[in-house]
Amino acid sequence: MDIARSSIKWIVLTPLLFLACAAPASAFEGEQTLYEAAKKEKELTWYTAHYGSETAAAVCNGFEKKYPGIKCNYIRTTAQVAYQRLAQDQKAGLAVASVFSSTDASHYGRLKQDGWLQPYRTKNVAELIDAFKPYNDPDDMFVATAAGLVLITYNTSVVAAKDAPKKWTDLLDPKWKDHVSIGHPSFSGYVGTWVVQMRKSYGWDYFKKLELNKPRIGRSINDTVTMLNAKESWVAAGPSATTLQSKDKGNPLALVYPEDGAILMVSPTGILKNAPAPNAAKLFEEYLLSRECNEIMVKQREESVNKSVKPLPGARSIAEIKTIRPTYEEIDKGIPEVKELFRDTFGI
Amino acid sequence: MRWRHLDKSVFLWLLLVAALLLLVINPLARLVWSSFQHGATGAFTLDNYVAAYGRWRYVEALVNSVVLGLAVAAVCVVFGVPLAWAVSRTDMPGKGLVWAAILGTFIMPSYLGAVAWILLAGPNAGWLNRAYMGLTGAAAGPFNIYTKAGLVLVIACYSFPYMFVFTRSALDLISSEMEEAATTLGAGVLRTTLRVTLPLTLPAMMAAFIVAFLEAIALFGVPALIALPGRIQLMTTTLWQFFEFPPRVQVAAAYAMPLLGITALLFWLQQRLIARKGYVALTGKGGERRMVKLGSWRWVMLAYCLFVTSLSFFLPMVVVLQAAFAKAWGRGFSLDNLTLANLKFVVVDQPITRAATLHTFVYGGASAALALGLALAIAYIVHRRLVPFGNALSYVAMAPFVIPGIVLAIGFYAAYTSPPLVLYGTAWILILAFTTRFLPIAYANSNAALRAINPELEDAVRILGGGRLLALRRVVGPLLKRGLAGAFLLVFIPATRELSSAIFLYTTGTQVLSVLLFDKSDEGNFEYLSAIGLILVIGTVALVLAGFRLVGRDFMLKRTAA
Repeated sequence: MDIARSSIKWIVLTPLLFLACAAPASAFEGEQTLYEAAKKEKELTWYTAHYGSETAAAVCNGFEKKYPGIKCNYIRTTAQVAYQRLAQDQKAGLAVASVFSSTDASHYGRLKQDGWLQPYRTKNVAELIDAFKPYNDPDDMFVATAAGLVLITYNTSVVAAKDAPKKWTDLLDPKWKDHVSIGHPSFSGYVGTWVVQMRKSYGWDYFKKLELNKPRIGRSINDTVTMLNAKESWVAAGPSATTLQSKDKGNPLALVYPEDGAILMVSPTGILKNAPAPNAAKLFEEYLLSRECNEIMVKQREESVNKSVKPLPGARSIAEIKTIRPTYEEIDKGIPEVKELFRDTFGI
Repeated sequence: MRWRHLDKSVFLWLLLVAALLLLVINPLARLVWSSFQHGATGAFTLDNYVAAYGRWRYVEALVNSVVLGLAVAAVCVVFGVPLAWAVSRTDMPGKGLVWAAILGTFIMPSYLGAVAWILLAGPNAGWLNRAYMGLTGAAAGPFNIYTKAGLVLVIACYSFPYMFVFTRSALDLISSEMEEAATTLGAGVLRTTLRVTLPLTLPAMMAAFIVAFLEAIALFGVPALIALPGRIQLMTTTLWQFFEFPPRVQVAAAYAMPLLGITALLFWLQQRLIARKGYVALTGKGGERRMVKLGSWRWVMLAYCLFVTSLSFFLPMVVVLQAAFAKAWGRGFSLDNLTLANLKFVVVDQPITRAATLHTFVYGGASAALALGLALAIAYIVHRRLVPFGNALSYVAMAPFVIPGIVLAIGFYAAYTSPPLVLYGTAWILILAFTTRFLPIAYANSNAALRAINPELEDAVRILGGGRLLALRRVVGPLLKRGLAGAFLLVFIPATRELSSAIFLYTTGTQVLSVLLFDKSDEGNFEYLSAIGLILVIGTVALVLAGFRLVGRDFMLKRTAA
């Protein structure tokens, strides 16, 4: 008994000790100089759509704790609102935001083309999970700092684990008629990417068949969480983070990592050319890749992008599961197309 | 010589007209202009209109929205007018409860109500459907919120308070003399009410009809939650697409422009309908209001009032309470699922909620005061024909309401980030935006109130040598005072709920509650959403009731003579 208990203690403590020792070592080269320069700028403003407001607040708090003297202001909105705000600022010649984090990958192509970003090679990029490195800009205009998954979710009080769908095509089973929940590609980049990927994998026929099940179409991908909790729908194409957050509270939800692949969403961050606080922005971008920040993120059930930070129990690491993802070009070109097709098929 | 005889108040009128133009025309004109601008080059073009109306789908959505607006406004009449009459003119019991429930309804953000209604009347698992199945043993329940009827019901639930407040303040001004005259001539209670009392409130009812119609058209939150899953195309959900990347702001502006035409049409209709009749209810002859004795019918009336407020407030509140105090609302109600953690989180652990609450009330209060002051002045100018083209002013004052907030926000942004007013990043941009956005409600209300006051009262002052300002201060002001508290709330409460323009205009340090609430709804976090909603509803109701008590006017039951 005693041995078992103390060994459990050590299993828990060892990684913590290891973390405690390792933390200072994670500092990157030139950190102190950058910090000193950033302190003179006093504060930075971050437009973000990467996660919910609580996570954004926690990430900002973590930054302020790690780098005292720099205030972190976040404006958390959905991706399109974030872009619209930025575009208005730029048009009016206002320099408000220093860091911009959108979930819509196509924003970055435009930002780069319009010359609104400034290059910065993140030192902490060595910490980034290798699978995300291809999504970084070759010209250092943006770097992947957040990730999410679209996968199958269900309500455990009405669906037993063995009956739950295992792959995307299982959602077409007539037994789910009137009980499938999805989002709308015109309102959510996550849903748009999922639709593009499904079309790529199974052709548009997938959605014609899905329509026979009369899915409940919400606005954002997070609406599926509400639909499942209400038992209005039983299964859904939903997000990992929000579903897990709700599950952590005790809601009867569960995830299925589809055999044919969870859709991987990679969300970059960039520093604006007219950033009022360019040094704080660079420091912040380093921080987004750091271990501290990613530990905060996994606590909020967001995916870690840092190699050494593993998810909490109940979630699986992106490195261990099968993920699929359309290319930037496919997303760019595909989303406008599938929006039209979607409207034709579902009539909304 | 002429100068000496000139009423100096004319400068005040001109100043107020200038303020109106600055607040409304400045952002609106920029919007109209952008609807003719090419997205990239800024050159003049009609392409935006072609893009906005070149597809049947988009036109159909607009038609659906107009039909929806009319249906909602009609249901508002059915809900609002009987309640207003019962509370204002009858001896029905439980008036305080009914009024508090209507106030609560008005405060509850409509998307919170919409989520609650999904839980109540969702076709698969709605509580009402489950209760019905349990009682009758039927295989399926009769209710489906994802239909046009369901959509109309939910929107009407959150718009009928306009009808209630407008009609009630009109009813409060009508003296019993006219009713008594009808009774003397042999008319019964019903006939008197339908032929004498209610027709006198027609201007107020029409104003509320227009407000409810316009709000239903411009609403986004409820359609996103109910119309989208119900597969009903609406204007606002279509509009949202134009903001998808790459955003086509100019097309969005073009798409919203015909709404200005619809508003103009409604006005013209209103003028036609009430032009040649007199609605002066408040004369210099005092007059007393006596309650209509309903006998045993008062219980029927109370039952109807409770039915309506159950739909709009009590039933959704049950859902909100369940979620606000639940660890996990998806588990349903059980003792081990109860917690205070959600309330604690939003009140204690999230300091931003406190700051946002303060901002919400301060901005709401400031814009309500500004909008009300300006609206009263403009309505007065129009009614007493103090400047030429008065009717055009009344149209200007009503125009902002019909443009959906998300589109209007573009105009505000353009207007307040470039000279003459550079307000971006300050609280003023939100206050002025809210003022402009809800000026129409204040104006519609002021307009109806002024219509009821006989100009002879002011003429009396002027004959006795007083100026117009004196007449305003000593006669019109006191007469309107009773309705002012209600009118203030009519702007204050929508301003505390306003989301669509706030989301573009707030910055760090000027967050408001509606934005926080929307975040929670967007994150599927119904426990916190309900907790904030609960605090908002209870806090505001308490604040309002305390406020009324403080000014010493029990506005429900006691009536001081005019």
